[in-house]
Amino acid sequence: MLVKQLEARVRPQPGAAVIDLHGDIDTFAEAALNDAFAEASQGHPSAIVLNFRDVEYINSTGIALIVGLLARARQSGRRMVVFGLNDHYAEIFRITRLAEFMSVFPDEASALADVVSSAPQQM
Amino acid sequence: MMAMHTSNPTSFPAGGSRGQTEGDWQVLAEFSIPSQPGNERLASDQVATSIQALDLPVQRAERLKTAVAEATMNAMEHGNHYRPELPVWIRLLVSATALAVQITDQGGGQSIPEPEAPDLEAKLAGRQTPRGWGLFLIEKMVDEMHVVTDQAHHTVELILYLKGADHAGQTT
Repeated sequence: MLVKQLEARVRPQPGAAVIDLHGDIDTFAEAALNDAFAEASQGHPSAIVLNFRDVEYINSTGIALIVGLLARARQSGRRMVVFGLNDHYAEIFRITRLAEFMSVFPDEASALADVVSSAPQQM
Repeated sequence: MMAMHTSNPTSFPAGGSRGQTEGDWQVLAEFSIPSQPGNERLASDQVATSIQALDLPVQRAERLKTAVAEATMNAMEHGNHYRPELPVWIRLLVSATALAVQITDQGGGQSIPEPEAPDLEAKLAGRQTPRGWGLFLIEKMVDEMHVVTDQAHHTVELILYLKGADHAGQTT
């Protein structure tokens, strides 16, 4: 068994900030997640997109951290969008109802297309 | 992270509703892990290895791993207070129709308050702590969950049916 300390890297995209997650989302992931969220928020994107393609383990503490990020995004008027969840964690997002508050997509292209199509029109 | 130990079965507490063997239950595996953050992964991975011969569908095996990890985390944190010298014992039992996983800590004799059901809207509004998902996930991931407490130990027993109705994973 290899426990992977979370690495979170921010990648700006049109209208969004993508946070690429690599590793496990558990009690040890708090600092990396919070730092990445703060960095992602600096550019005032309309949406923050979480990339779970390289995440193999999320425990209940990780779920709590994600809930915390979602709460912060909502407070600042930003959407949260996710992609790349495996089938098991997609089910957990449904069971916890996170999927009702975060748009879930299978891949980055569909996630970012939704961000662009949902962005407020600038006059 | 400290390694787990495959302990002498006679040193395992008798906890759970099935004891060492009862009826047609057979012990599939038993081991212990030190109570340290992160060690729940050892437990869930060892359970996954131990049940390979049962050839469970991938989805059910993943649900069981999650339930075992969460129950082990609770045992380490709330039962053993993350004291590494206090092990969590894990025993797997199998019958013709079901798999039982018993997770035992040394937090017996204490009353365990009924946890508040997680309310996502309340959490997002700051009216409830973001935490508190562990027991909820356990109940959603397995077919049955039983809790047995005596003066010395606290055991959570997870039941997964091997055949027939799949109650685990239902959202209602």
